[in-house]
Amino acid sequence: MSNNVSFKDMLVKGALIFNPVLIQLVGLCPVVAASTTLAGSAALSAALCIELTATCVIASALFKKIPRWVRVPLYLIIGLALICPVLWYIETKTLINMSLGMKIYIPLIAINSVTAVHCEQFAVKNSVKLAFFDAAAVSIGASAVMLLVGTVREIFGSGSLAGVNLDLPVIFKGMSLPFGCLILLGFMAAGLKAFINYRYGDEEETEEEAPVEDEEIIEDEIAEVEIFDEFWVEQPAEEEPAPAEKAQPQTAQEIQSSANEDIEDFFRSIGIDYYEKGDKQ
Amino acid sequence: MNIISDLLMTALYTVFVQNLVLSSGLGMSEAIRVSTKPGTFGKFAVMISGFSVVTSILCSLIDKIAAMANVTYAVRAAVYGGILAAVFIIVAAAARFIFKASPKFLGTLGIAALNTLVLAVPYINHSAAYSFADSIGSGIGAGIAFVLAAALISMGSRILEENENIPAIFKGTPTMFLYVAMLSLAFAGFSDTNLFA
Repeated sequence: MSNNVSFKDMLVKGALIFNPVLIQLVGLCPVVAASTTLAGSAALSAALCIELTATCVIASALFKKIPRWVRVPLYLIIGLALICPVLWYIETKTLINMSLGMKIYIPLIAINSVTAVHCEQFAVKNSVKLAFFDAAAVSIGASAVMLLVGTVREIFGSGSLAGVNLDLPVIFKGMSLPFGCLILLGFMAAGLKAFINYRYGDEEETEEEAPVEDEEIIEDEIAEVEIFDEFWVEQPAEEEPAPAEKAQPQTAQEIQSSANEDIEDFFRSIGIDYYEKGDKQ
Repeated sequence: MNIISDLLMTALYTVFVQNLVLSSGLGMSEAIRVSTKPGTFGKFAVMISGFSVVTSILCSLIDKIAAMANVTYAVRAAVYGGILAAVFIIVAAAARFIFKASPKFLGTLGIAALNTLVLAVPYINHSAAYSFADSIGSGIGAGIAFVLAAALISMGSRILEENENIPAIFKGTPTMFLYVAMLSLAFAGFSDTNLFA
């Protein structure tokens, strides 16, 4: 794809329209299991940003000619090589008191599905610059969710924020458990869908209800989103031409409806089908 | 006899009481992805159990080395991760070059081996001070727990898709989150957890 895509464009799609956690349902483990406090979420977010960005850049620069079954474990090794020294330094050379959960879940970031999906779906097929943009955008999207989830769970699950006691009358400990996080994620996903519908709503509504002065702005936004189609929508394998009804989305409305598909169809487009189409190497 | 009973008890505990997917969120993304393919459940159960058991055994053996007794979690993570990566590469290379496995099979193998669930099992064995038999039971239980979670998610998501009463804005991923939350709550009930303080 073209190298002229701006970071802003990639950010809109990577962090918002195809948010890795809320829309793509990847990278759930650290969010659900470990993001119980704001500090913990910040640590996990930092680890994810560093690991995902570095791995995608390395994959884009070096791994394009390596078979996929060799590449995937390399992502794990790169992730561990990045995370473990930092974790070791924190454990041995600083006075930061990390919980046992953090010591276990931060290294697990190295094997996170976000990394494998984005390295395989995008980084190894595009330039280093675009891989960096994509990884940064996805990291921001995932980190935003983690930080918000960590904040809400700490307030309601522990009655504190950033370690400061808020003296709440009732503490709902269930928020610290995975199911509390999943309920929160469900409402956040619905909120995000509502926001995307509102921002990139269907064209009929736009034509009928939008004021004349807003039409150009909306068209600009649609055009910005269209730029990403060629890499976010999986390209059909040569030996398996895509059926006519699976044509790539061309407008913001189509992109939105693509994002709103039921989970089975969605994962067929981003994950399961990818594996089924096989390694082209 | 004690070894077999320990193994079975740990496996049952890992599947039903401490379901690693629904109670701990480990491998949840993969479980949701796999839930769309009910025909692959058996394959995943065998693969995840196999990788978990082999990795658990190797990590348990490594843990018995005196030098590993007091290492930091960072070093432990590097060792466990390295073992898992090595096991996967050996198995995938054997499948690719000896058994001429298809790329599709290697892709499935990658999903089964390289996920947070499989890598977390050795940590759990270590922190719970599991015996050798317990570690094997824990590995087997991880695979069964994964498939149980995927099957429950699969059945529920099919019913939810057909439900016309769900508001449009909640269709898809929001409903999936809420449904998995209910499953997670059900398993939390086994662990004697108070929801309110």
